[in-house]
Amino acid sequence: MELHVRKRQDAVIPTATMADIALLLIIFFLVTFQIEVDKTQVELPASGIRLEVPEKSAYVSVTEDGAIRVSSGEEVSVIVSGPQEVLSFAAELMARAPDRAVVLKADEATPYRLVDEVMDALKQARVKTIYLLSEAEMQGSGGGA
Amino acid sequence: MKIDRKSKVSEEIPTATMADVAFLLIIYFMVTSTFAATRGLDFAIPEQQDNPPMIEKEESVLIEIQPGGQLVVDQQPMQLGEILDYLRPRLERNPLKPVIIRPDPNSQYGYMVDVFDELRQGANEGVEVRNISIPTQREIEAFWY
Repeated sequence: MELHVRKRQDAVIPTATMADIALLLIIFFLVTFQIEVDKTQVELPASGIRLEVPEKSAYVSVTEDGAIRVSSGEEVSVIVSGPQEVLSFAAELMARAPDRAVVLKADEATPYRLVDEVMDALKQARVKTIYLLSEAEMQGSGGGA
Repeated sequence: MKIDRKSKVSEEIPTATMADVAFLLIIYFMVTSTFAATRGLDFAIPEQQDNPPMIEKEESVLIEIQPGGQLVVDQQPMQLGEILDYLRPRLERNPLKPVIIRPDPNSQYGYMVDVFDELRQGANEGVEVRNISIPTQREIEAFWY
């Protein structure tokens, strides 16, 4: 009777390619990564039309309780005292970069009076395009108001 | 004479920890990058003119937004979903008919976005509103008659 000779197999999990996969993922994240200049938490209004905001746009954020923050798109946003300061910020920005779009990131429950004053400041500063930041509309909930 | 015994050094590059390092970096990027909202409604502001064309009040459609979000279109209360049907015959007669959105200062920003979005979406339903304007309170006081 012939006895089988047991072959000894190495119990190794090949981990060399793990690093390749991980690095690919990192590269993906780095490429898609956009620095968020304004981290204000707001409940954005929903809309059906949603266009991509140009890169490096300036941001003006308005919260429900009236705090206004501005950012030229290059650095993190700073708080300003009121719409009057938005005007000086926007005028200075337009002198430097006349074609820069301004993104208005306002809470949907913001009193319109405040949004009106901010928009008026942007108009007076001769901003050409304003983007009203919004989130995707839930299916089937269109036509509220 | 004593001969040094060569100790055997492994010729492999240790790559097992590479994956650990790479995954740590991935986790770092995932944690620090929040999903930034980068879409919204664009709102182009007409260039400032020295002699803006006068618009007869009767030529335009006025959409008023009351503090509670109710809509009054040309003095008639209306639902959001009815606006496009109201505009359709008027825009067929005059495709450049101006549509003015006038939110009450005590209403909310979200209502204005709802109406603006509805008008913009009209293009998908064959009612292209080309001339939407949202005058600010200052402009109303200066130009309204």
